[in-house]
Amino acid sequence: MANGIDRRELIKIGVGAVVSTGVAGAVEAHKFFTDAEYTAVDELTEMMIPTDDHSPGAKAAKVVDYIDRVLGEAFEPEERNDFRAGLKPYVEATPEQREAMLKKASVLKPANRSMEAKFFRLLKEHTIKGYYTSSIGIHDDLQYKGNVYQTGEYAGFLPS
Amino acid sequence: MPTDTHEPNLNPDLTKTYDAIVVGSGAAGGMAAHVLTSHGMQVLLLEAGKKLNIEKELKSMQWPYDHPRRGDMPPDSHALSLNEYNIRPLPYAKGSRYKHVYSYVQGWSGSDYSKNIVVDEKDNPYTGEKYAWVRARLLGGKTAIWGRLALRLSDYDFKAASRDGYGEDWPISYSDIEQYYDRVDNYLGISGMKEGLPQLPDSLFQRPNRFTSAEMMFRESLKSMGRVITPYRAGVTTDGLKHNRYRSKCFGRGACGRRSGGCDIHAAFDSPTGLIYPAMDTGNLTLRTNATVYQVDVDKNTGRASGVSFIDTETGKTYQAKGKAVVLGASTLESARLMLLSKSSQHPGGIGNSSGHVGHNFCEHIMGPGVTGLVKDQIGKAPTLDDGKPGGFYLPRFRNLKEKNKNFLRGYGFEGGAGSRMFPSHAFETPGYGKDFKKQVRDYSGAFIEMGGFGELLPRYDNYVDIDPNVKDRWGVPVLRMHIKFGENEKNMAKDMAEQAKEMFEHAGIQIIGVDENLLTPGWSIHELGTARMGNDPRKSVLNQFQQSHDVPNLLVVDGSSHVSASCQNPTWTIMALAWRSCDHLAEAMKKGEV
Repeated sequence: MANGIDRRELIKIGVGAVVSTGVAGAVEAHKFFTDAEYTAVDELTEMMIPTDDHSPGAKAAKVVDYIDRVLGEAFEPEERNDFRAGLKPYVEATPEQREAMLKKASVLKPANRSMEAKFFRLLKEHTIKGYYTSSIGIHDDLQYKGNVYQTGEYAGFLPS
Repeated sequence: MPTDTHEPNLNPDLTKTYDAIVVGSGAAGGMAAHVLTSHGMQVLLLEAGKKLNIEKELKSMQWPYDHPRRGDMPPDSHALSLNEYNIRPLPYAKGSRYKHVYSYVQGWSGSDYSKNIVVDEKDNPYTGEKYAWVRARLLGGKTAIWGRLALRLSDYDFKAASRDGYGEDWPISYSDIEQYYDRVDNYLGISGMKEGLPQLPDSLFQRPNRFTSAEMMFRESLKSMGRVITPYRAGVTTDGLKHNRYRSKCFGRGACGRRSGGCDIHAAFDSPTGLIYPAMDTGNLTLRTNATVYQVDVDKNTGRASGVSFIDTETGKTYQAKGKAVVLGASTLESARLMLLSKSSQHPGGIGNSSGHVGHNFCEHIMGPGVTGLVKDQIGKAPTLDDGKPGGFYLPRFRNLKEKNKNFLRGYGFEGGAGSRMFPSHAFETPGYGKDFKKQVRDYSGAFIEMGGFGELLPRYDNYVDIDPNVKDRWGVPVLRMHIKFGENEKNMAKDMAEQAKEMFEHAGIQIIGVDENLLTPGWSIHELGTARMGNDPRKSVLNQFQQSHDVPNLLVVDGSSHVSASCQNPTWTIMALAWRSCDHLAEAMKKGEV
């Protein structure tokens, strides 16, 4: 492309990038989770990063699909096993129980080696990664302005 | 597309004697190819890696959600961690169950875009003491993903030994190289702002990158300390280059800073579009890729370089190429490896190594100490475009200029930045979960500022590399063995770096979130230098001031191995200015029949 980019083309690229909706909604079988696990993780990620009056949350961003894929592909079987083991009590719990369990786990110290603490950290890390790399996380929640061709005045301030 | 005409020639004419053979196609080799072909010389450029379709690799504008793994490498690929570098025995990838093992840079975001650019540690082992060696084998070498900070050195560096009594002066002064820095600036493009600092000479700048409001505040605050942050001096053409049709001006997209580097419109300098394609357009350059040079060949009668032997990395076949001169630009450690491997009856310790200094006097930049802070009045502000530029700020050296520090010699600078990024990595450290968590991540996303130091590692004869007698790489070439350790000067400097970083943030009213005090593994800065240093005394140096071997006049080494000391300023621009000067000198000398 080099010097062959014209201005109109650039504006088109810029605008197109911002309004792009990203993740397609095709329904496919889970790569790793059982249906019950999938439903539980979908709810748990939403509890982690919920919809609020500012932006949709993890459920709308399909974070569960991201986690399902990551675990399904994971090279180390421990990654799958640890997650599944930690998830088990949540699968069987009611929404109120889940909330209470998450709350309890969230205040455990980073050095805590229990399954509860470990699962909370795993769930949180995966949800953060999945949500803030999604279209909803980047555009709707953070309202990130970059990754565009700047064709007019460049953003920022010129020091003197 | 013009780039389609720049395919390598996998079957070049090896019956003829080229005017020069250049080994390596990064900043050094690319510059050598450019300068020598511009003098009308017939040049054969040998690159160990492939020519990649780099635009297809980098996909600079791709969003994380457009990628199946949000930019991450396939799960069977692994990036070495700091812990592994410090604890695992070398070679690091030996016995790993992963299909591919890469250096730490593949642990950064967007690693899928650079996985074909950096080497697989399984194919390219090294041994000895802990060392993080980042290598890129492809046309252009590490310039495909370099960090872009393009700084000049000054006489504080070239004459450092005269100033503080440690080590050796360079055989040149700033006045010898200034016009070559100018040429590099004009030919390749550099972005920055004049500051008039003696320790960091100004370049011939194109449009400077802009600051975020927190960076503006920090610059203002530093004035009362007599210090400065300047917009990232990037080896990026921000205004475009009329003489180069392969490179676009920078549109501030920011992908180079979000990932390991790389620019698919080539606003950031890379050797192929900046140097090699224009050199090919002269008709004087033959490019052979997949060609790993394993020996500099020697004329048995004269002891001079007669050419090189190389192995085709795909077929394993070996070839000889003949040249009137041989110019090494394989990188600091690879050029040293190649010289040490090139043993002959005339050069029993390796070619150009009568001094015994090849592989020694290793120097680089220490890294690790730094600070992260929170700019309180940025919390909850409406988001702005903060990362649409090739870098944040550079804070030049302020130690051992006028005053003499009692704890260490030389100095350090900082690279840093402030403002919002595409990925809010502070989310991992934000406590709790739920609505409050989500709001805090959002409110704080533009409020962080951070900087990390780059300090001068003093060159020492005892910091060296040699050839491992037992271990070979995938192609059967003996590998390097590292003997590199930090000493008291580095430890004392690191302590000061952390303290000063903290003090400057506190002075600016920035809330300190974290201070890093520990040094990272040697090699981390990817600024390795010094293993074939220049000097006037052939007993204590490998090359003269024109990067010409004292022993073998038709052998040049034009990469970072020639540097006498590391300075604390990033080396790429100096590598290219020196290579330009030396290749001008070689071309003139050959015309006069002196070489």
